[in-house]
Amino acid sequence: MVWRFAARGGPYFEAPRTVVDHVGRGTHETRDALIILPRVAKLLPRGAEVTCFRPIGGQEHYDSANYLTAVGMLPHQTVLPPFVAGLLTPHRELVEYVVAIREPFTHPAYVPIAEWPEGRVYRVVR
Amino acid sequence: MTFVIAIALLTLVGLVIRRVPSVAEMELPAQLAISFAAGMMITGTLMFAFSLAGISWTRVSLGMALAACAALGVWKRAAGKGKGWIGIALFVLLTLYGVMTARETCADLMYFWGPKGEKFYRAEKIDVEMLKFPHYFLMHPDYPPLLPEIYAWGSLVGHRFSQWGALALTPLFLLATVLAFRGIAARKIGEELAGHYAVLMAAVLAYGFAAGMVAGAGDPPLLLFEVIALAALTFEDDWRLAALGIAGAMFLKVEGTAFAAVLLACSVVTRRRVLPAIKAAAPGIILLGAWIAFARHHGFLDAYGKSKSALHLHLLGKVTSLTARQASYGAFYLPWLAALAPLSSGRNWRRALLPLLAGIGVIVYTLYFYLHDADPAWWIASSAERVLLTALACFVVATAAASE
Repeated sequence: MVWRFAARGGPYFEAPRTVVDHVGRGTHETRDALIILPRVAKLLPRGAEVTCFRPIGGQEHYDSANYLTAVGMLPHQTVLPPFVAGLLTPHRELVEYVVAIREPFTHPAYVPIAEWPEGRVYRVVR
Repeated sequence: MTFVIAIALLTLVGLVIRRVPSVAEMELPAQLAISFAAGMMITGTLMFAFSLAGISWTRVSLGMALAACAALGVWKRAAGKGKGWIGIALFVLLTLYGVMTARETCADLMYFWGPKGEKFYRAEKIDVEMLKFPHYFLMHPDYPPLLPEIYAWGSLVGHRFSQWGALALTPLFLLATVLAFRGIAARKIGEELAGHYAVLMAAVLAYGFAAGMVAGAGDPPLLLFEVIALAALTFEDDWRLAALGIAGAMFLKVEGTAFAAVLLACSVVTRRRVLPAIKAAAPGIILLGAWIAFARHHGFLDAYGKSKSALHLHLLGKVTSLTARQASYGAFYLPWLAALAPLSSGRNWRRALLPLLAGIGVIVYTLYFYLHDADPAWWIASSAERVLLTALACFVVATAAASE
């Protein structure tokens, strides 16, 4: 067990920032979301519709890990799947808020409203 | 902290299980461990009943009902403290270190166990709207609700869901599993031997938890219920206690139902008695049947409606090979060797037959499940180490049973 724990990287006697900090040698795919979503929760109005993903090439994709994580961490908002912020989604059907993990989101209908090292929040321009 | 304490205090709700004569005669730590399992089961059933009746979960409504259950508990003194404390404490503390430094977290905590607990807590009921929302189908909507209900109870008392709290429950589940096993086994094989095998159980499961990354997921509480059911039938032929374990397992995970089916089939074969098996299965069947009917009524039936999915028998070789690779636990099959090696010096093979057959049955149904996926490599890699913990626990019980 000690070998297993050691193999998952240090520091070994400091409180980790998130619950996935030492699940492997690399950074877990949800770590950034776990850091910024509590801040996003305070920023967004109750009942707002939002999606969450790590953009690829500046665009949405079905990032189930970050999307599902957001469902639990934004309980006062309605979290929708990433395709609601797609380039092919009709403008009136675009989700109001996008939480883009780590990478910038370059959809022309969205503008950033908050930014942290781990990601940004965008709002659609109606 | 409040989240964890609220869930740990469900032990008080479950003290009513001490009215079962076999439980009342066990050492105190085992009584408390079994009471903890019973408390979770009672609470989960009550929360489900409240949802069916349209009563919101509040600290007052639920708290009063749970307090009434706690009042039915028995407070008489129990004899014995058991052996093997130092070894057990070592592995529980190692697990505590592992979870609190985020080294054992299961991703499913973020993907569905946690979100369900959070949503149920906010909705003050089983959140049907969430479960039937088509875009949340990856969250296994019809998975049995016991663990999210327990998380919702902890959140209700603590005013928020706590991912760290969910992780911190893992060593508690490990401790309860080991103490329940030790207490049940001690009545047949004696305190000394039961203490030794309890340490073995703690070592095997603690290592399996670390390797399989189970913290926050359904596997630790599932093992608690499974071990109670298996040990009750192996050492005591205690169908009432087994009924608690079987119902808990069935109301916790889909695999729990498969385990219950295998266990009861093996017990009928080895004991040649059908009626007690039916009695042991009845509470779980009623509860799970009610849940499936609830899911069907609200239109979110998923896993339980897929019994007709295709079986890819041509993948048997590949599935077996991939599962065998995962089963090594990255330690040259050491957990299996540790669990089974003492069996060679065992004498009571007759008693060990039931858990041995159950362990083999678990391996068979695990392969059977994987054969329902046309491309099961990722599924096996992400779950085999967790699912096979049940088989490991069966073999530790078998080794202990044979040791008399």
